Amino acid sequence: MIERVAAELRRPAHAPGASLDGRIMRAVHAEARAMRAPLAVRATRSSWRWLREPRSIVLSPVQVGALAAGFALVAVGFGMRLGGGPATEIVSNEAAGAGAPVAHAAAAGAVPMQFVYVAPGARSVSIVGDFNDWVPGATPLVRAGTGGMWVVSVPLGPGRHEYAFVVDGTEWMPDPSAPRALGDDFGAPSSVVTVGEHST
Amino acid sequence: MALSDGAIVRRVLDGDVDAYALLVARYRDRLGRYAVHMLGDAGDAEEVLQDAFVRGFRSLRRCEDPERFGAWLFRILVNRCRTAGGRRGRRERTLVHDDVAMEMAHVNHPEDRSAWREEIELALARLDRDQREAFLLKHVEELSYEEISAMTGVGISALKMRVKRACDRLRALLEEVERV
Repeated sequence: MIERVAAELRRPAHAPGASLDGRIMRAVHAEARAMRAPLAVRATRSSWRWLREPRSIVLSPVQVGALAAGFALVAVGFGMRLGGGPATEIVSNEAAGAGAPVAHAAAAGAVPMQFVYVAPGARSVSIVGDFNDWVPGATPLVRAGTGGMWVVSVPLGPGRHEYAFVVDGTEWMPDPSAPRALGDDFGAPSSVVTVGEHST
Repeated sequence: MALSDGAIVRRVLDGDVDAYALLVARYRDRLGRYAVHMLGDAGDAEEVLQDAFVRGFRSLRRCEDPERFGAWLFRILVNRCRTAGGRRGRRERTLVHDDVAMEMAHVNHPEDRSAWREEIELALARLDRDQREAFLLKHVEELSYEEISAMTGVGISALKMRVKRACDRLRALLEEVERV
């Protein structure tokens, strides 16, 4: 009985047909155009949509001061392992151009974006995203200070970027301070950051 | 010779958006079949199918094994069907409890193929959503329990129980039809 039922359900009685293909590809092309559109064009479309746009990560002066102290520690400990995780080169546009080691190539017009993740119990934290082909471990974060804070600076070109943090090599975590990506239905959550033309 | 999924994915990622149409044509029927059986409505199924293909395109770089693009996209579709199924819950319950509709769909001769098909679809709609999903993935799409578990996040023991209950329920509903 069950095999008869399954065989009947495998018969293409409701196949959508090739007519659906055209609609799908129109939607795909629209998506491709949206992915290529510069931020300035998207932001001017309507103020209502602007309210819903993902935001660049902005750090307060206090947070910047804490990170500066953390970066100073990293500079002192450059080349040494900190907290069991690999040391990470903090990249600026100037350093990227000066041949400093980076986990991925910097895009033209790239802006250094600082990512912070708090995980006091973690042994390692890395960031994955469309900028490093989602390869865990390609862009590790380093501990900053003693509060379980992990940081990294990643040069990102203008536009929309999806990313996530990978804790201890296996646990994918979204950024709690950033908007969630709509397409995260692959079992692995991700977040969105949008880099403007004049972001700092 | 047909291009492999991996070859097409690489072309799309290199900028050839039109190449994505090859993947759409390759998987549209199979994924559409699952969506129709899961949601019980061709219009809803087309909407979910289109959504899944667009999401797949948007996140193509996250496909870890491009040679198995179809399985990866199927997972997206299963999740989209779950989301759509939740929104349609009220409409499904209305269909299931519509005794008049059930009476009108009753077949006089179970060997009439279109009527038999309709009976099967009605019986399928009467399953719990989780049981229907598990039954379709196991018996119609012929996936292994390991594949279904990876796709849905549900443990293998729980999946086996869902499939068993679905089969028992379908047998009870459809044998009753055949007896009349």
